[in-house]
Amino acid sequence: MIHSKLHDPDIMVVRPGVDRLTAVNAKAFKEEVAALIDAGASRLVIDFKDTGFLDSSGLGALTGVLKKIGHRGDLVVCGLNPDVSQLFRICRMDRVFSVYADEADAIQALKEKS
Amino acid sequence: MANRLEEVDPTVLLLKQRLEGLLPDEAQFRFDLCVTEALTNLVLHAKPSKDEATIDGQLTMRGDEFVIELFDPEGAQPFDLRDNARSLSDIDAMAEGGRGLGLILECADRVNYGSVGRRNRLELAFKAQS
Repeated sequence: MIHSKLHDPDIMVVRPGVDRLTAVNAKAFKEEVAALIDAGASRLVIDFKDTGFLDSSGLGALTGVLKKIGHRGDLVVCGLNPDVSQLFRICRMDRVFSVYADEADAIQALKEKS
Repeated sequence: MANRLEEVDPTVLLLKQRLEGLLPDEAQFRFDLCVTEALTNLVLHAKPSKDEATIDGQLTMRGDEFVIELFDPEGAQPFDLRDNARSLSDIDAMAEGGRGLGLILECADRVNYGSVGRRNRLELAFKAQS
């Protein structure tokens, strides 16, 4: 389901690979990203460029991934369309996640943190 | 709709198609979110008397509102989300669940629930394009 791509030595960009991240696929998304973390990925960009809709299950899965990384690494998100941005605002997730316009901005921000 | 998670997204997309150009853009998203959350909640938590019990729905225009009515599958215990939803501001930011019902209350223009005949029905209303 997910598409992942390594940028630089240690920044992994992940795309959910679905148009809608909802209860039907949120668990698989979380497990697949968790497997990347278990395999050593610790600095992640989740790019929602091709994902037009998230529900509370999708948001829950994303929060689960953030908890999995914890203090061992970093996770940022990018590519939110206006609907997904609105969901982040309503659920106050814009205070939890660092949100960037696109993949390039997100990667740059992670590089500057290191 | 069959009482299966795989049916939720196609059903919501079909309903949304019917509303294209009739709801303001921002309300299309609220409709999508509310109906997705409500159907998912029914599939995951309503316990029908028979496995093959379906979730029935109806989309109508009443006055200046579009109203989606979702009927609980037969045999499910009544569940009024207005009595059970947690305010989104009370939910721990790192919680992985518990936002669905609050999102429905926050995003629908009107929420109603009650029995109609022998079945229970959730009504979600959204103001039409003026």
